[in-house]
Amino acid sequence: MIQTVNLTKEFNGFKAVDNLNLRVEKGDIYGFLGPNGAGKTTTIMMILGLIPPTSGKVFLLGEELRPNNVEVKRRIGVVSENQYFYKEMTAEEYLTFFGELYEVPNVRKRIDELLEAVGLRNDRNKKLGAYSKGMQQKLAFARALLHDPELLILDEPVANLDPTSIKQIRDLIEEENRRGRTVFVSSHLLSEVERLCKKVAIINRGKLLAEDTMDNIKRRLTDTIHMEIELSADAESLSSSLSELSFVKGFTVEGNRLEVHLKTERDYRLDLSRFLYEKGFLILTMKTKEMSLEEAFITITQQNISLLARGEGNA
Amino acid sequence: MRTFRVMKTLFKRDFLYSLYSLGYYVAIFASFFVSSFILKNFLDSIGEEDILVSAYPLNYPLYITLVIISLYLVILSGVSISREREQGTLEVLFYGPVTPGSFLWGKYLKDLCLGMVALGFTTLYFYLVSVLTNIGFTMGLVKALIMSIFLISCVVSFGLFISSLTGRIRSSVLALVAILGAFLAIQFAYNALLGFEKESLSVPMLYVRQAMSYVFRGISWISPFAYLSRGLDSVVLENPLLYLANIGYALLYSFIFMFLSVYVMSKKGVKA
Ligand SMILES: Nc1ncnc2c1ncn2[C@@H]1O[C@H](COP(=O)(O)OP(=O)(O)O)[C@@H](O)[C@H]1O
Ligand SMILES: [Mg+2]
Repeated sequence: MIQTVNLTKEFNGFKAVDNLNLRVEKGDIYGFLGPNGAGKTTTIMMILGLIPPTSGKVFLLGEELRPNNVEVKRRIGVVSENQYFYKEMTAEEYLTFFGELYEVPNVRKRIDELLEAVGLRNDRNKKLGAYSKGMQQKLAFARALLHDPELLILDEPVANLDPTSIKQIRDLIEEENRRGRTVFVSSHLLSEVERLCKKVAIINRGKLLAEDTMDNIKRRLTDTIHMEIELSADAESLSSSLSELSFVKGFTVEGNRLEVHLKTERDYRLDLSRFLYEKGFLILTMKTKEMSLEEAFITITQQNISLLARGEGNA
Repeated sequence: MRTFRVMKTLFKRDFLYSLYSLGYYVAIFASFFVSSFILKNFLDSIGEEDILVSAYPLNYPLYITLVIISLYLVILSGVSISREREQGTLEVLFYGPVTPGSFLWGKYLKDLCLGMVALGFTTLYFYLVSVLTNIGFTMGLVKALIMSIFLISCVVSFGLFISSLTGRIRSSVLALVAILGAFLAIQFAYNALLGFEKESLSVPMLYVRQAMSYVFRGISWISPFAYLSRGLDSVVLENPLLYLANIGYALLYSFIFMFLSVYVMSKKGVKA
């Protein structure tokens, strides 16, 4: 749906986006993650053809982006970071105007549905100048969905919202995704993206640090993964042989509970369970000791850049 | 076809909201006020017989009315793109099926229609004047009013061109004031130089005068207000070919400036 090839944008010699290669597949909810100033909005503007790249290419819905390719633009919906409205219009007039621009069939009914879905039904006749930031953001959502786009591009879509509204919008995004829409969503808040996205890209200072599934990213964020295992019998006897396994970096044993620190070049869980089985143990439970991505993100932006960069080689 | 529909949608929204703006009516009625004043002086200063002799007694007041309405329209079209750039609403249109072409022609149509509505009021005003003063509503005035449509087209396309170059309302207004002011200043200086006898000017000043005449001729093809006076003059000169030629020039001017505006807007983009 979206592909960027060596996409680069310089502002007076400053590289806001640096050789970015992204690939968003059909059906993804794709998270585009990075701290403020990472280059997310700049990238999105280049994807939409609204600012010209310094170098590199963008493919949108399978076509190389050309200026004024309105047929492609009719198939995408966009919610930008900041909301801009004609303040003298009401929500209903505003949506009717865009409905006409996009030639939406049955536009009255569609507007009713969407205003209901974003919770603005009772404010439909209010002037947009009187809308709060949160209401504006919801209206922008309704506008973006109006013409039933195949691809949604959302730049920090829940930044101004309260928790209830965030949930509302998140449900809406998931619902639209279930109906077959591809979603590209940028955020500087991991908590927003973590629950929503199947795949994420992490960008900092214009550079792509990682593009992978959420699980793999989490794994790559650290070079150790902590497994908590409950076994069928006392595990004290395993100590010596565990330390000989090449993929085990360390462990602690406490009765029938075992905590193993695995290396992360690949998924070693199968190797571990086979080993335990061969030693005559049955695994009752085995789970990853979760590290929050939020913690990981702090690491990512500070020390772990080099780690991820090395990870790139293996991926 | 679809582009045309996009243009129509943009036009409709813009036109309706502009019709609600107070400034528009203030400009129209200010122009009537000024031209009434001029008309009164004119009537006071010359005798009845002279008016009957002149075939175009109302054309000068019409010129003044048009200049004022045009000044309003040139500012209106001059900020129309930069305002949407500054407020970000332009960007949102371009997420969708809007292109520089459909956007600009939509704006052009809107401002032209606003101009035509103003001309409608103007016609009404001059009709009332002719009834009240017994000055005839002549064919010359009708011709001048028709010509005015094309002259307004020049004014609007010039304003849109300036707007396509600028990212903020303030810079558009400053650019317009600076450019139109410079045109006026040059015209004034040139006229002043023409007032001297050739013999009384030093050699360098003669060169200056020559250079000014080139500049002046250039401006007379760039400034929309030069088209305005030339167009209305062509009515009085009673030369049908010249009249048609002036309509042709005005159309050509509008197309060239619209073409340039679309080009500039594509290059400059939608951001302030
Ligand atoms: N028009 C511009 N001119 C100069 N620098 C810019 C411009 N737009 C963005 N930048 C810079 O590019 C970097 C990335 O900005 P942006 O894409 O908005 O980041 P994000 O959306 O990830 O917060 C920032 O350092 C910002 O200051
Ligand atoms: Mg941003």
